[in-house]
Amino acid sequence: MVGTLHLRSAPAVGESRLIRGTLIAIAVVFLSVFLLAPLAVVFAVALGQGVAAFFSTFSNPDTLSAIWLTLVAAAVAVPANLIFGIAAAWAIGKFQFVGKGILIALIDLPFSVSPVVAGLTYVLLFGAQGLLGPWLVAHNVHIIFAVPGIILATVFVTVPFVARELLPTMAAQGSEEEEAALTLGAGGWQTFLRVTLPNVKWALLYGVILCNARAMGEFGAVAVVSGHVAGLTNTMPLQIEILYNDYQFVPAFAVASLLALLALATLVVKSVIEWRIARRGARV
Amino acid sequence: MSIAIRQITKKFGRFTALDNVDLDIPHGRLVALLGPSGSGKTTLLRIIAGLELADSGSVHFDGQDFSDRTVAQRRVGFVFQHYALFRHMTVFENIAFGLRVRPRASRPPRSAIRAQVEELLDLIQLRTLAGRYPSQLSGGQRQRVALARALAVEPRVLLLDEPFGALDAKVRYELRRWLRQLHDDVGVTSVFVTHDQEEALEVADQVAILNGGRIEQVGAPDDVYNRPASSFVYNFLGNVNLFHGRIDNGTAYINQEATGQLVFVRPHSLEIGRQPSGANYFRATIKHISSAGPVVKVDASTGWGAPVHVEMSQARFRELELRTGEEIFITPNDLAVFADEQRAG
Repeated sequence: MVGTLHLRSAPAVGESRLIRGTLIAIAVVFLSVFLLAPLAVVFAVALGQGVAAFFSTFSNPDTLSAIWLTLVAAAVAVPANLIFGIAAAWAIGKFQFVGKGILIALIDLPFSVSPVVAGLTYVLLFGAQGLLGPWLVAHNVHIIFAVPGIILATVFVTVPFVARELLPTMAAQGSEEEEAALTLGAGGWQTFLRVTLPNVKWALLYGVILCNARAMGEFGAVAVVSGHVAGLTNTMPLQIEILYNDYQFVPAFAVASLLALLALATLVVKSVIEWRIARRGARV
Repeated sequence: MSIAIRQITKKFGRFTALDNVDLDIPHGRLVALLGPSGSGKTTLLRIIAGLELADSGSVHFDGQDFSDRTVAQRRVGFVFQHYALFRHMTVFENIAFGLRVRPRASRPPRSAIRAQVEELLDLIQLRTLAGRYPSQLSGGQRQRVALARALAVEPRVLLLDEPFGALDAKVRYELRRWLRQLHDDVGVTSVFVTHDQEEALEVADQVAILNGGRIEQVGAPDDVYNRPASSFVYNFLGNVNLFHGRIDNGTAYINQEATGQLVFVRPHSLEIGRQPSGANYFRATIKHISSAGPVVKVDASTGWGAPVHVEMSQARFRELELRTGEEIFITPNDLAVFADEQRAG
């Protein structure tokens, strides 16, 4: 993905000032209307009745529990995908094996399947009326309408992020450096920690940041398996919807502003990492 | 340490990279594996290192079967074609890597590692660049760092894959003399892969010529160059003129009708004269003269239309005062004849 972009960046010549001005204006207007204005509205409404009203939102136990659950889901999903992503990218990027294409397609599946469908499959699998439902009920395991379901749904929708970021980097670097480490007497684990990991650290961090943003912001899949049990199975995005439907605009937008802040922070970290990667690329 | 390769066969899918290869590499020698691309030379090197496993056959180090040993157990120094330096480590860290990853019990103390790396930095004459990253080095410098890194683990054998392949002509020339010197100083058994016959003949003690996954000939450079065992070897080890010919009563005849034999003559073994000399000569017309360089190269066309290349010294060229378009007489001084069984490639 990254490589082809570089190839196409031929110098643009000959466009008149009028055309350039028009193109820039279209981009600016589009971004303003669809991105900047909504972002401004979120903060405006959240702070519309004063700072005190804004902060009182966060004394509501249900809201606090939603924030907590979102953090827990992300805390499980991100490390899980970190490990899976590294393992999958390592296997795909450095080895030839039967079923490689299928593995790549599977990793991309969550991108192509609607999150709602993903949530529904979990309900059909683990729900009380589902395939494994009776067995789970008999053993007193609650997945759907409980925290494990939320975590499962979050893991599912975030699966591609780390692996997808690492794959091009690992494939481009090949396995010569690892082979060199082996000939110098390093073991498999030493080779991974000292050679492979340092070479992909920025791509890895980039994947983790994106994965985290998606884990915290996921709505569709989580909504299906949550059951909206206030104070128990609501994440931040679900809590925002509930508050909004209750006409509690200030609290709804206050929680939304938290997610927006997360998005902005992600954007900053992402830009810094991209800048580092570009600088690194230029040196090599 | 001596290496013995016994009946090694390796296939990649339906492609046979090595076909029942036997080779002995004596202790302390510098051996070249020479061949065109796809001849299996790099695969053979990787099998010796343990980076690739043979389908059948065995690899012996000092008479001991090492076929099932891991890369680490074989303790070989491997220099990769594109160096494979660790890009996130400095020159110093790259060279120290092999010592630092040793298990605690056999790992030298910090100060000893430092001393050893500095010694190697002196050897490759890069002490002042110890803190640089690989991306800040020139190709020749990277190559020397890769060598020092491989030597740091005191390998039993040094394996080099196209060690000068990615360098420009002048650096390549200097580095290969340096490698020869280094080998004489360190004395470690070394094997290098190359597709450049000049490089192999100049640097190596012994040359193994590979073609299509088989070894065509093994011998000292002088041996293989002057006594080639096959038309492939003759053809591969330098520029040649190829004529179709036949043998009658021990005399080789070359002209357009002759068939059955391939007659090879090196360009420097052809003598150009203004007059026919002796009984063996043929007429030709000069098409092109290239006189910039230590030897003058003359392209001519024989009476029956075959191209012929002749090389001579500048002095001889000036003596003859050759001009393009002139008719000349060519006398072959030394020819090699092989049966025309297959097309020589």
